[in-house]
Amino acid sequence: MYQSRLTIRYLTSRFIPTIAVAAVALCVALVIVVVSVMTGFLNMVQSSGRTLMGDVVVTYGLSGIPHYDRLMDTIEQHESVEAVTPIVDGWGLLRMPYPDRDAKQSETVQVWGIEPHSFAEVTKFADSLQWKSVSENQRDWLLIDAIQKHEEAVLSRLDDDTKAFVIEHVNAAARSMNFESVGLAQTLEDTLQTEDWEYILSLDPRLTNEGEVHAQGLSLERDGKPAIVSGLHVSEGNERQDDGSYQVIRNDYWWLPRYTGTLTMLPIDAQGGIIEPESIVMPFANEFMSGVYIIDDTRIFVPLHVAQQLLHLDEAEIVDEDDPTETVGVDPAKVTSVLVRGVEGVNADDLRAIVQSSYLKFYDEMPIGTFVMPPPLGDPGLVIQTWEDQQRSFTGPVEKERELMRTLFSIIYLVVAALILSIFWSIVFEKTKDIGILRSIGASRLSVVWVFLQFALVIGVTGALLGSLLGWLITTNINAIHEALGNPPIAIAIGAIILGCLTIAWMFKRSRNGDFLPIVLGSLGAILFASIAFVVFNIRAMGGLVIWDASVYYFSHIPNDVDWNAAIITSIGAVVFCLIGAAIPSAKAADIDPVKALRHE
Amino acid sequence: MSDSLLLQGQDLRKTYVLGKTTVPVLHGASIDVAEGAWVSILGSSGSGKSTLLHLLGGLDRPDENSGQVLYRGQSVWEQSQRAINDYRNNDIGFVFQFYHLLPELTVLENACLPAMIGQVNEDGLERAEVLLKEFGLGHRLHHKPRELSGGERQRTAIARALVNEPSVLLADEPTGNLDEETGSEILGVLKELHQDGLAIVMVTHDPSIASQGTETVHLRRGVIE
Ligand SMILES: Nc1ncnc2c1ncn2[C@@H]1O[C@H](COP(=O)(O)OP(=O)(O)OP(=O)(O)O)[C@@H](O)[C@H]1O
Ligand SMILES: [Mg+2]
Repeated sequence: MYQSRLTIRYLTSRFIPTIAVAAVALCVALVIVVVSVMTGFLNMVQSSGRTLMGDVVVTYGLSGIPHYDRLMDTIEQHESVEAVTPIVDGWGLLRMPYPDRDAKQSETVQVWGIEPHSFAEVTKFADSLQWKSVSENQRDWLLIDAIQKHEEAVLSRLDDDTKAFVIEHVNAAARSMNFESVGLAQTLEDTLQTEDWEYILSLDPRLTNEGEVHAQGLSLERDGKPAIVSGLHVSEGNERQDDGSYQVIRNDYWWLPRYTGTLTMLPIDAQGGIIEPESIVMPFANEFMSGVYIIDDTRIFVPLHVAQQLLHLDEAEIVDEDDPTETVGVDPAKVTSVLVRGVEGVNADDLRAIVQSSYLKFYDEMPIGTFVMPPPLGDPGLVIQTWEDQQRSFTGPVEKERELMRTLFSIIYLVVAALILSIFWSIVFEKTKDIGILRSIGASRLSVVWVFLQFALVIGVTGALLGSLLGWLITTNINAIHEALGNPPIAIAIGAIILGCLTIAWMFKRSRNGDFLPIVLGSLGAILFASIAFVVFNIRAMGGLVIWDASVYYFSHIPNDVDWNAAIITSIGAVVFCLIGAAIPSAKAADIDPVKALRHE
Repeated sequence: MSDSLLLQGQDLRKTYVLGKTTVPVLHGASIDVAEGAWVSILGSSGSGKSTLLHLLGGLDRPDENSGQVLYRGQSVWEQSQRAINDYRNNDIGFVFQFYHLLPELTVLENACLPAMIGQVNEDGLERAEVLLKEFGLGHRLHHKPRELSGGERQRTAIARALVNEPSVLLADEPTGNLDEETGSEILGVLKELHQDGLAIVMVTHDPSIASQGTETVHLRRGVIE
């Protein structure tokens, strides 16, 4: 077949096909990156809602819903409901263990009292816990903590030499572990008698059981005491790494699960007045990361009953106003919200209707003469919302951007399509004379068009594949790229300056005989390299550039999952536009009489 | 209509339309080419020689009110597209005034292109090679046209025209761009082909070259005299 031969010749003997492949690849990569990041962003907004609050939320302001157990039972009876969990939501002040013991820092936090077991059924609580196991360093710190806390008991077991050895090594480790790992556990295990070592290990279950820290987070309990699970950004000890992971500063010294914090909350009475603040000291069990910045930055979880106590939402006796010794009834425990998760496939709006009718049923079935009635369905303070409505307050601007993004997508697609179309149009148009030659020696119209379709197909498919690869590479590394853009290495600036100087030298050398092209190219190159260096220096002078500001975009990292649907559609679209761009001008040229095509210059 | 007539142009008219002005070039030119004849068409520059040859070769369409081109008694433009393609590919060999080779293909590929397009003869590649060697291009088979001299390009174009063994060769000033020596080389080639029975229609404005043929006609004011 002459077509394949000619197609191969067109593809291999010209510079233009390479440029066309590069152009198609860049277009495809651009679309894949933009669409992946944007849809990833919207997906994060959507799934964050489910991650953190289930599908439907029943809320009753500050005073809370009494008899919530009955409410939950009623809701849970419906077959469309998967799980239900109660929440007490309030604000508090958390005193952190740092910077040192005298002047602890305080953070304003949004406190969620949760019942961890059912909470994990409604949300992705278990997944969101940051510390699934204890690292080597963290274990050494726990070891130091345990030995120092139980110093007397530990030392009394040891003979004098070992005692001195242990004191020395523990103190040395406490000093130097801020900077480097010392492998304390190994040293002690090698030196101590087995029963002494086992005694030390028994001081903290986290020393022996790898998953213990995760389990403590899941149960909100450490050493049998109610404990805190705080958002990863609440503690200043956690530092984001370039690769998007988190590390605890000073070699895990500020690893929060080592410490305790003091939580203070302001209970509000029925009239909205503030009652005496209540405080409680609690250990930290774990930390969580939802990926939504404002939540990770401010929220902490504590056991439901603790929050109820602090906010005076727990069960209380109601006394006679005239005679405080006389009990007239019981004020039942309350929660501010109930979260509901539907079974797979139930739409949030349908679920909301279900929850609403369950609430009505719950209200109607309250025993006659109940002392403290729950609010009726019409109460303006009682809100039953889907998570979409619920989070609209913080994703509202994002929701509005969705439309903007759609428009943006279409524009990008149009631009890319037009670009690919015009590239092929001009390549094939330039070949009109060849088409005239082929036609004049008897090639049929179809076979001529087929030559260029093959040409476009090869370029389109190659470009689309390379583009998908490039798009995948950029998208999956987008956080690292962003980091590098924000803090460009000085080497780039130096490299750009050197390349700029080389370009100028090349320009002088090549333009000596009066050629003008080297001057044009050289000046362009020099300007390009100078601007790169300038931009890099400027960014560095500003102390780095943050394009994706977590506090603005709500999420702490840029979505980096390739939207493969979009990638496939884009690739196919690119190939189709290559084919259209080649088919129209080649068909046009094949249709005219050969002599006319031959006159094309 | 004689049986021995291979190719006939009957009352051919061609008018080019350029915007509002019309350029009448042929006003009813008629030409007969017998089997095995060598017809030279003489005429001054711009007289419409190339236009006439294009019409004969089925590369351009005569005017609406015009006569017709007959090949073996069959009107070329009244046939199906497929038959016209076949006519261009198989029955005639066309040598253009300006060579018109495909720049991306090698000399050999250019020469055997009609064979590959027609797909009737399996041995197109061999024949192209034989022809090119015969024309003294054996050492240029895998070169690109831009690496060749004008004469070499012209010879490649002739090889291409002959590869499908046509019954008539239409050559538009095959020596026009060449020096005398190369020109006479090419003429030598044509002479040999003619001796082997190939009919030739050759356009030229040089009377001495025209005299090589068996018959000379003059194209003046759009008609054959
Ligand atoms: N496609 C066209 N559009 C307009 N005018 C044309 C076209 N092709 C040819 N002509 C005109 O028709 C006339 C004849 O052209 P043609 O090429 O047939 O001349 P020719 O006899 O081959 O000349 P030469 O010896 O210079 O090759 C010229 O005046 C030319 O300008
Ligand atoms: Mg001419």
